[in-house]
Amino acid sequence: MAKTYDYLFKLLLIGDSGVGKTCVLFRFSEDAFNTTFISTIGIDFKIRTIDLDGKKIKLQIWDTAGQERFRTITTAYYRGAMGIMLVYDITNEKSFENIKNWIRNIEENASADVEKMLLGNKCELEEKRQVSKERGEQLAIEYGIKFIETSAKASIRVEEAFFTLARDIKAKMEKKLEASNPPKGGHQLKATEPQRKPTNWLSRCTLL
Amino acid sequence: MGDPQSGENSQYDLYLQEIEGVDDYWGPTFRAIYDNDQNVKFREKLDQRIQHHNKDIERLCNVYYQGFIEAIRELLEVRNHAKKLNGQVTTLDTQLHQAAKNISKSGNELLQARKVQSNIAVVIAQLNLCLPVLTSYSKLKKQIAEKRYYPALKTLEELEHSHLLHVANYRFSYQLRESIPKIRESIEKASMSDLKDFLENIRKFSPKIGEVAMKHTSEQLASDPTVIGRKKKRIAPQPSGDGVGHFSEEDLSAQELIDFSPIYRSLHISTVLNTRATFETYYRAERTKQARLVLQPPTNMHECEESYRAYIHAVLGFFILEDHVLNTGNGLITRAFLDEMWTMALSKIVSALQTHSAYCTDATLILRIKDLIMLFCTTLRNYGYSVKPLWELVRELRDHYTEVLMQRWVQVFREILSKEDFQPIQVYDLEEYEHILSSFPWDEDLPNDVVFPHKFPFSGMVPKVYQQVKEFIYACLKFSEDLNLSQVEVDEMIRKSMNLLLTRTFSGCLSSTFRSPHINLQEIIQIIIDTGYLEEATVYLDQFISNITGEESRGVSTGVVQGQPAMFRVAREDAVRQICEKLRQKLNEFYELESYDWLLGEPSGHASSYISDLIAFLQTTFQSFTNLPPEVAQVACKSACEHIANSMFQLLMNDEIKQISMGALNQINLDLLQCEQFAASEPVKGLQEDVLLSYFTKLRETLDLFTSWDWPTYFHDYGQETSKYKQVNPDDAIVLLEKLKEGDKKTMFTVLKKNERDKKKLLETVLKQLRQLTQITPNK
Repeated sequence: MAKTYDYLFKLLLIGDSGVGKTCVLFRFSEDAFNTTFISTIGIDFKIRTIDLDGKKIKLQIWDTAGQERFRTITTAYYRGAMGIMLVYDITNEKSFENIKNWIRNIEENASADVEKMLLGNKCELEEKRQVSKERGEQLAIEYGIKFIETSAKASIRVEEAFFTLARDIKAKMEKKLEASNPPKGGHQLKATEPQRKPTNWLSRCTLL
Repeated sequence: MGDPQSGENSQYDLYLQEIEGVDDYWGPTFRAIYDNDQNVKFREKLDQRIQHHNKDIERLCNVYYQGFIEAIRELLEVRNHAKKLNGQVTTLDTQLHQAAKNISKSGNELLQARKVQSNIAVVIAQLNLCLPVLTSYSKLKKQIAEKRYYPALKTLEELEHSHLLHVANYRFSYQLRESIPKIRESIEKASMSDLKDFLENIRKFSPKIGEVAMKHTSEQLASDPTVIGRKKKRIAPQPSGDGVGHFSEEDLSAQELIDFSPIYRSLHISTVLNTRATFETYYRAERTKQARLVLQPPTNMHECEESYRAYIHAVLGFFILEDHVLNTGNGLITRAFLDEMWTMALSKIVSALQTHSAYCTDATLILRIKDLIMLFCTTLRNYGYSVKPLWELVRELRDHYTEVLMQRWVQVFREILSKEDFQPIQVYDLEEYEHILSSFPWDEDLPNDVVFPHKFPFSGMVPKVYQQVKEFIYACLKFSEDLNLSQVEVDEMIRKSMNLLLTRTFSGCLSSTFRSPHINLQEIIQIIIDTGYLEEATVYLDQFISNITGEESRGVSTGVVQGQPAMFRVAREDAVRQICEKLRQKLNEFYELESYDWLLGEPSGHASSYISDLIAFLQTTFQSFTNLPPEVAQVACKSACEHIANSMFQLLMNDEIKQISMGALNQINLDLLQCEQFAASEPVKGLQEDVLLSYFTKLRETLDLFTSWDWPTYFHDYGQETSKYKQVNPDDAIVLLEKLKEGDKKTMFTVLKKNERDKKKLLETVLKQLRQLTQITPNK
């Protein structure tokens, strides 16, 4: 079957319950917003194909439940993720403080080179703000990751956030490819499994 | 005379005497004298004598003169007297004349008067003869003028046969006689036109009559509910118990509002004129025409109740009048005629009402129409018309009403569902808590001390829908209110409608909710949970109906609440289907990410990442949705497995993939292994492992056959129950084999070793064999 994309990036959205992960994803995937709060159960995902520097990139974005009771289920998804969005709610101090815990979770469960990004959501609720932008930036710098304040409701910089993360992953991956594969290689390697090299499976060399 | 002479004297004397004595015969005397010659002497003597006589005369004269004077004197006196007398007589005469003049005048007058009198007597006699003619003629005129044609006709007859005969010789009587036929004709015409007026009049008036009749019936029904539906006699005089004898227009029975006299008159007249047959025909024809008009419903009748009312009133009025005419019209119309007309009318009424009510989408209007028809029926029955088809119509209308109600409730449900967030209800205080419990019967053990916020397992839709079903039941009931149905019927009807509402309407609404692309798995699951609660609540709805109808609850009487779970089964099944569908959509998304290298030389040694993700996702999902009822989870899981297996098989069979390498097949095998592992892992409680695995059997057998290249066994055991590869279809095998062949060509074109050639030959043989099988199979 002809492939419809060049790269597949798996992204993960984490953060406290109610910070708006699902809404951010909903905004990005369907460009819509739902006011009723429906707490995510377990895990869900959406797929959106974006065009980045002439490449078709499929983003499979996993939306996790923020609730504690699903923690074991959701952490299983850290491993496969190539990019993680850490989301907090700028009107909720607690969710910001918990980012540290989420980072720890990532360190424990995700692959080391996973691309991360910090999102301060609900930035349209300026009058209810509890976490200043500076504190967000401060935290991002501490962890050496990018930071964007978004609003899923007002559709502010959601798109930008995902594109930025995708672009970073793409850059990182292409660099890696170049390192392991001299550009001479005529065979396009699959982006999905760049790190997994064929293990010793009854190797039978037929070609070379 | 002297003496001396005496003797001579005496002779003379004699002669004188003789002359004196004799008057005339004097001749002899004178002869004698002359003869004697005496004549001289005699003359002397005669002179003497004459002297003497003179003297005598003189003396006499002297003597008599005195007397004469005296006489003259007396005469003069007499003359005076006579004159006097004459005057007196003349006066008397004039007086008499005067007096007599008046008398004679009166006499004349009297005469005249007598004459007149006798004339008058004659005239009176004649007039007496003519008078009856004239009086009856004038009576006739008056009667005609007063439109009392029948008496007029009678008068005319009398005039013609008894009066006019007596006065034949008058001009007027002649004229009268001449004009009689004309009058008769004009009476006929007039009575006909009267009839026409009457017909026109009743046509105008019949709606009013219908209205009044309906009003009476409704009053009667209101005052005596027990008479509903019972066969009653014509509107009887109000029971005397009323006390007050008020006889206004209100109390007149409907037909009394109309003056039927024109028709009776016309009928009498036509009878008299011997045109009764024509009259009857005319009347019937006219009424039939009118009936047709009356039965023609207004084109926009479905728009408002008023039109229905007007139509029904008109029809009713028409037939009330006709009934009255039948009863009083002395055979003007016959029972058969009326029955025939009624039968014709009934079918028209029914079809008109049917057609128009079918357009109606307003439940309230249908209710009103029903009431109208009911009243119509009762009234008609009071007048002895059979109304059976109308009852059937009402039944039909009831179905239509239910339909309309359903449509209305579709809106209600849609509204509820559109506002629904499909999240369990969360209440924050006791009041809210109590409110939920009061609006929805929930007999689960409630915790003694509720901690707020408290979560109910169902979403807000459940109590709302429950309430709405109750509302619906009330609405249904409204139709059957005075429908005169037995409680069993009402009960049955309501149950049927409720069933329909829940199985069709509500389910339909739920289904369209499922169709919404924005609904997610979680919401559908909540819907399933909700339907579970609604299902449990049907027992209460059942009781609720029983309370209303007084019928024993079906659920209790039959032991099993049969059919009631079915009310939500449809919705539930649909919801389950939707869950499966949503899951399938998610799975399809995974398949979008599939990136098989169909010419893969060596398999990676582990399952493709999309399959791993897919399996992980499924596992997570089934783990997370702890509130998913087990049987639903089982169905969903089965459907997911089936879909995975089918999708993978479809990948292999995909037309666009022309070549497949053995390596790729091995990779698929690895992926399948992963799936099989999942299937065997009991991802959902209560499923036997074989059930899920069975979905992968076909794929497994196919892959086994191709990877082990065990064609001899395949062909040997083909068609047998025990065959290892019994699910491998030769057609599919051909497709896959062709792909492998193509794949081989690409990779092997340089290597033309002997064993490769053998392999190729074998492949051709297998293909040939398979093709033979496919040709046999259809005949089997």
